[in-house]
This record gives sequence, C-alpha cells and structure tokens, in this order.
Amino acid sequence: MEVNLKMNCLETNKLVHSFSKKDIVLNDINLQVIEGSIYGFLGPNGAGKTTTLRLILGLLKKQQGEILIFGKKFENNRISILKNIGSLIESPSLYGHLTAVENLTLLQKVYQCPKKRIQEVLNLVGLPDTGKKKTSQFSLGMKQRLSIAIALLHKPSLLILDEPTNGLDPNGIIEVRELLIKLNVEEGITIIISSHLLSEIEKLVTHVGVIHKGKMMFQGTLDELKSKKEQSLFIVFETNDIEKTMQVIAGNDLTAKVEEGKVIMPYASRKIIAEINRQLIKNDVEVYEISIIKNDLETIFMNLINN
Amino acid sequence: MAMSFIHSFQSEWLKKKRSLASWIVIIGAFFTPVIIIIARIAQHNKLQLIYASDDFWIVLWKSSWESMAIFLLPLGVILSTSLITQIEYKNNTWKQLHTLPLKLTTIFFSKLSVIMVMMLQFFIFFNIAIYLSAVIPYLIISGVTFPKAPIPYLFFLKENTLFFISCLPIIALQYLMSLKYKNFLVSVGFGFIFWVGALASLSWKFGYVIPYTYCMYNYLKDSPGGKVIRPALNIYNLAISYFVVITILSYILYITKKEKG
Repeated sequence: MEVNLKMNCLETNKLVHSFSKKDIVLNDINLQVIEGSIYGFLGPNGAGKTTTLRLILGLLKKQQGEILIFGKKFENNRISILKNIGSLIESPSLYGHLTAVENLTLLQKVYQCPKKRIQEVLNLVGLPDTGKKKTSQFSLGMKQRLSIAIALLHKPSLLILDEPTNGLDPNGIIEVRELLIKLNVEEGITIIISSHLLSEIEKLVTHVGVIHKGKMMFQGTLDELKSKKEQSLFIVFETNDIEKTMQVIAGNDLTAKVEEGKVIMPYASRKIIAEINRQLIKNDVEVYEISIIKNDLETIFMNLINN
Repeated sequence: MAMSFIHSFQSEWLKKKRSLASWIVIIGAFFTPVIIIIARIAQHNKLQLIYASDDFWIVLWKSSWESMAIFLLPLGVILSTSLITQIEYKNNTWKQLHTLPLKLTTIFFSKLSVIMVMMLQFFIFFNIAIYLSAVIPYLIISGVTFPKAPIPYLFFLKENTLFFISCLPIIALQYLMSLKYKNFLVSVGFGFIFWVGALASLSWKFGYVIPYTYCMYNYLKDSPGGKVIRPALNIYNLAISYFVVITILSYILYITKKEKG
C-alpha cells in the first residue's frame, strides 16, 4: 500500500472573512495544498478566490481562522514564509516607468539573489530582450509574463498565482501552462493557481478546490473530480409512452425523472439498458432513442457551484 | 534589520528613477538660479557693481531663496512627497511590495528615507546651481571680475540645515496623507490648502501652529518687520517636534491598515 508522506505546504483552518457585518465573503475555508502539487483554486468571479489568496499572503488582515504555510503560522513567521513565496495577485504589479530588467533589479536587491538570475527568469518566461522598453509600453501578455518572472526571481518553493493567464493569447496560455508544469516537475515548486475556468487549468492541476459564494464546494485530486464525471452520466429514453417507461425503469429498481418529454435515468450497464429496452418493447412502448448524456468537467464544475 | 533596510532603501531609490518626483528635484533646484542667470545677463551693465560688492554671496543667497522659501520649496516638497507614494498606487504595486520579505517598519522608513535623501539631493543641487548662477554670468559677460568676497560656507551650511529642518513637518504630513489616501489630488490639495493657510497666517501671532509656515519664517527672520509677525517660539524645535509626532502617527496608521494592497 502506498503511503502519502507528503505534508501540507499550505493549510487554512476555518478561515472566515467579512468586509462588513452583513457581507461574509469567506465562510469556513479549509484549504489543504499538498507539497509538490499544482492546486487549481476554482470558482466564478466574486466567489472569494482572491480574498482567500490575499489573506494567505497577509495583504488582508486575518479576522478568524488559521493560516499555516510550510507548517508555520503565517502571522508569527511572516518574513521567513514570504522569502519562499512567489506571487501574482490579480493584475500585474509593475513599475511602468522602468524597464523589465529594472523591475527585476529592484526586487533582486530585496531578495539578494544573484544578478544573473534576472536574465535567467526573463529567458524562462520568453522575454529575453526587451531592452530599454518601459513596461508601460508592454502588451498585457508581456506584463503577465514579466509578473511571473518576478514571482520566480528568488526561486520560491510555493508559487501563488491569481488568474495568471488573463490577457494571454491561446499560445501564451499553453506556454505558461508548460512552464508551470516544468517548474513543478523539475524544481518541485508547489503551485496554487486560481481561475474561473476549469477548462483552462484541468490540463495543469493535480488537485482542485472549488469555491462558491465564500464556501468550499469541493476539494480533492483531479481524479476525484473526474470520478464525479462518471457519477454524472445519464441514460435518456425517448418513447411514445412516458408513464409506461417510468414503470418499467422502476420495475428494475432504478429511479428516473422526466425532462423535456424524455425519461432520464442514472447510468447503468449495457446489459441493464438492453433489458429495459426489451421490456419496453414487450409492453408495446415504441422506443425512438436511447442515448447517454456525457457531462464534461465544466458541467460538473457548474453543477457543483449551482448546487 | 539594518541590512534589510539598506536593501529596501536601494530598491526604493531605484523606483524613483525617471519618475516625476526625481525631475521635480532637478527642475526645482535649477529653476531660480537659471532665472537669476538670465536676469543678470539681461542687465549685464550692472554686473560689475554687483560682483564687486563685499556681500555678493549673501545677496545672491537671499535672492535665490526668495521665491524658493516662500513658494517653490513648500510646493515642491508637497508634490514630490506625494509622488513617491503615488508610484505604488499608480502602478498597483502596493500588493507586491507588501508580499516581499520585509517588515512593514522597514518599508515605511525606507520610503521616508528616500524622500529625505531626495531633499538632501535638492539642497546639494540648489547650492551648486546658486554657485553656477554666480560663475556663468562672470564667464559670459566680459569685464566682470569674479567676486572677491569669500564664499561664506558656514553661513550656507547653517541656512541649508535650518531650511531642511523647516521642511520636515511638511514631509511628515504629506507622507501621512499620501499613505492614507490613494487619490493623489487629496494629498496635494491638502498640502496646497495648508500652504495657502500658511501664507495667510504669517501676520497672525499664532501662525507658527501651522507647520507649513517654517520655511517662510526662516527666510523672513532677518527681513524688516512688515506685516509678518515673527513667532516667539523656536520654530526649529517646533518643526522637529511636529515631524516626530506626525511620523509616529503616520507609522501607526500605516502598520494598522487592514488592507495592504
């Protein structure tokens, strides 16, 4: 039996936050980000993703709950924890009147990492030679890449990225995805990446947390989320007699419902479906169509947040 | 702590490169001396007499500081202090700054130190510009002899120090306002109102309660009475006290801020 000895790189316990008495934006958030994982933090706009990440980074004053990073309480170990975190929260944070190298230099001075690291990270994000061009003249995609370079400058062990592919073209999205996978696999960096689109990160993440209206709706591995996909397959019967169809299905110890003139039942084996079909014909029911509804991950995500 | 402060200061110093705040320091320092150079070249027939005067340097110093002490210096401090913090607001970088492994105290004082060093830079540039405003007309206009009177270094040093101290409350108050309010116009507007109030209160016997008056008082201290009522208290002690109290208040407001970017 394989025993998972990896500890949580980041953990929040019963995190609650409100901007006013009536406006509770986070309610009992228990994040568990395993060391070495790529954690997709999903939720629609306004779900509480950015607020959670801002709390984790100390940009918002914690009101209730506990934040543990690298096994240490954030409020007591802020400096030592931040030394090992690279972050990109919402829009890029760049000094527009400075060049890319100057933007990185002023952070290099704080982190005291080697100067050659500046060119390394610029090469890594595909901005090897922007010369004297000020960052205010960069496209949004270039700004996003430079922000990722900034987050990587000091070789952090935890990377927190809030919607890092915003403003990137499809090619840019793929490049960033490949870069993050490379960083995770080759350098063992744990990554938390937030997004409101599951499709955008499902090829990247190992673990998923779904938040909606300040509550965690799901947390687990991507495989666990995918298993929900199988659970959410349905069989549709289109017949000339809905009532009899429902009776036949019920006779096989299965529950069904009617939607838009069709009978829908949970996924069952091919043998059972064939048996139900035989019984329907035996009962003089005309069967026009038997089909499967396949829910993709996006639908599961939508179901999670709608339920 | 000391090393992280130095690193943070270096980082903050780099941020002001090519910024409006750094241009204000240079333009502000050379503005009055350039006007003096132009005026002297235009009135070149009077130069021989002016340059032969025994109090040439003191007169030059006084005329250089006239508009500077009353108008340019207070407004320059208001603008450049507000612009330093505005760099973070404008670029949406407070959040990045506050996720660096730096104590909030380090960030607060390194930013304040950059403003103070910029002020020192201004005084150095201004003194160089004053010297150039004496030398350039002498080099351009023939027949003018270089002033025989020695440069009163100690007088210049003392006056520079007193003007610097007089600016400290403006720096502290503008720093507090610019940290507190994101909108640049709030801190600049606040400073402008205080500056107008300072001008108006020079003839009021309690005018010294307004911290923006000290540059003006320092310049007018040797001028004949007129409408200005000179404060009975030591304005330099007041300036330092204001600076300390406002800086402490500003620091408390900064570290207790609920949202940090």
